[in-house]
Amino acid sequence: MNTPFAMLRFTLLLAVVVTAVGCGKTPPASFRLNMVQATKTAAPESGMEKPWATWARERQGQVATILEAMYGTPDDPVALAETGLDLAKLKLAAGPVRSDIVGRKNGLYREHCVHCHGISGDGMGPTAAFLNPYPRDYRPGKFKFKGTWRDARPGREDLTRVLHEGIPGSSMPSFALLPPAQVDALVEYVRYLSMRGETELALYTYAEQELGVDETLPTTKEFLVDEILTPIVEKWQGAEDARIPIASVPANVDFTKPGDDPANRESVARGRALFHGDGGCVKCHGVTALGDGQANDYDDWNKVIVEWSKEVTGGLDSTQDDAGRTAWLHAAADVIEGDALRPRTIPPRNLRLGLYRGGRRPVDLYRRLYTGINGAPMPGVGPSGPGGKGSVADAEIWHIVNYIRSLPYEFDGELGADRPMVAKDRF
Amino acid sequence: MTSFCRSCVPLACLVVATSAGCGPRRVSAPVADAAAALTIREGLASTAAAAVTGGEAAVVGTGWASLKGRFVFAGDPGQPKPLAVDKDTEVCGKSSKLFDRSLRVDTSTKGLADVVVFVRKSSRVKNPVPDAPQMFDQKNCEFLAPVFAARVGQPIDVRNSDPVGHNTNIDGTSFNQLIPAGQGTTYKPDTEMGAPKAVTCNIHPWMKAYVIFRKDGYVAVSSGDGSFAIPDLPAGEPLEFQVWHARATGSGGGVVLERPDLKWNPKGRFVITLQADEVKDLGTLEVPAGSLGT
Repeated sequence: MNTPFAMLRFTLLLAVVVTAVGCGKTPPASFRLNMVQATKTAAPESGMEKPWATWARERQGQVATILEAMYGTPDDPVALAETGLDLAKLKLAAGPVRSDIVGRKNGLYREHCVHCHGISGDGMGPTAAFLNPYPRDYRPGKFKFKGTWRDARPGREDLTRVLHEGIPGSSMPSFALLPPAQVDALVEYVRYLSMRGETELALYTYAEQELGVDETLPTTKEFLVDEILTPIVEKWQGAEDARIPIASVPANVDFTKPGDDPANRESVARGRALFHGDGGCVKCHGVTALGDGQANDYDDWNKVIVEWSKEVTGGLDSTQDDAGRTAWLHAAADVIEGDALRPRTIPPRNLRLGLYRGGRRPVDLYRRLYTGINGAPMPGVGPSGPGGKGSVADAEIWHIVNYIRSLPYEFDGELGADRPMVAKDRF
Repeated sequence: MTSFCRSCVPLACLVVATSAGCGPRRVSAPVADAAAALTIREGLASTAAAAVTGGEAAVVGTGWASLKGRFVFAGDPGQPKPLAVDKDTEVCGKSSKLFDRSLRVDTSTKGLADVVVFVRKSSRVKNPVPDAPQMFDQKNCEFLAPVFAARVGQPIDVRNSDPVGHNTNIDGTSFNQLIPAGQGTTYKPDTEMGAPKAVTCNIHPWMKAYVIFRKDGYVAVSSGDGSFAIPDLPAGEPLEFQVWHARATGSGGGVVLERPDLKWNPKGRFVITLQADEVKDLGTLEVPAGSLGT
């Protein structure tokens, strides 16, 4: 036996030992607190007797306990009757991946979703940091692709659609191959994680605004259900009534024909004028529609981190004589570093790729234009609520839709400054 | 060489495996107390009628009164920083250069502008919600009002007096609408805000203002010389006021200052009971530099 082989065997053995020892026994899955909000809302106040860290941990621990009381654990979900959530569906989605006594697949969330969206629905699963865009964080209750008013919650049909179609241009795949019962269960579980996350945020806001330093959160039904939970559930249950109206399609729009078809020429020209005029689309999507206009903004999820980070850095840079405040700022810096994904700007969509994240049907584009995209900088050109006035009349929005549909096929000339690359140039 | 590389591959693997470690460095998060959670859950599931806790009957007075005062900044505000204007430069910041407005202090009187004072809870309201729209305008790629207060239900004329398009994005509401050049739209706020929220224009990211919508309309924003006044407040009952500033370091943006006579608390609040027809003057309210993080 020659030396290199002995060395190889030794190294291999060492590798096996080291990896087998691993990182210790896997604890049961547990929800993780929203440490960004937990810390952000726990600024020290004068008159605190305990050190800040002890005080904050106690308050955060109380929130964790209340959340477990109201929502259970990832292995054993609980749904209070007031949430209207279907516990049977939640149980199908929750827990480790396994088959039940009749051979039905359980633990669907952990099989299909958890590696990106995380056990708590925080959008920080193990793969999250490597994805662009980042997976959705369900906890603020904000969803982008839906047919409801901008700040309204999505309906079940909206979430089902995203699961069915996936999100083209992102890492979100289609789950159209799953049986409908499994998709239903996952939709319910997303609603559950979202309500749980919103409950957590509401508790922090209450603690920040209403509690004195030596007070704890009430645990009565009047407080937790009537005051905290009910407004959250009402939003989710009101989603079906919050669908935006869809104007009827004008006579000179024919979506069965391509944008450059003579049947659509008039409508596309009108859409183009709105795109460059009252629609204001060029501001961000650029005159070329390549998404090269205003492009250094953040979406709401990232903005929280960016702005808080500025505040914390500014605080740490200025002189601090208050021990509690210093401890808070250092804890905040640790949370930003270790408990949040590194913020990324959100570029406006390149409309010449023919790739639409929220769906490519004309009605999908109509909805994106009407309310804008919740959570993203994209404003709406329709009214902000029932009875409001938009910057473009409802029916006219269809012309912008038509123009957008024509963009990937608009030019035929040579590539150049006024003739940017379009989808068909790539193939 | 060949034999060397044969062993270097697993060695490299080993190095990678051990240095990758056990995942990202996350802070330790507090966990639930399972036993306590179970007890709370039992309480939440019970259908028993809630025990009527001895809530004190709220004091309701009669008559109306006013509150006024003036904020001054006790410190050196420094020079406002110019904003990085890099979009639509042929319009934005053209008529006058744009500066950061998060700390506006009057140089001669030291008056601190843009402090928001509002009543947290009131039992009575004197005036009905006005029908006349309140103007919220933007010009020179700047919101004209750095801090804007309105009453829930009162129409707001969101206007764009610039020759370029703006979008007006009010945080925490469903309003993020594109306002074409020279046009406007009406927005009726439908929910009350517990603290002012940011208004931004995503097309011009330097643009920032704050708004607050209150149901009772008992809210004032200090003017250029630092003075504020809230008229027609319900008299004869304790009123809790919140004092807020965009730069305040108190919890929830509360402005903390030394006024033991008002029992000013660390959340930037004080309680006061006004007499009917009284015009209460809080005098000069000195905001220490540290309270605004400078």
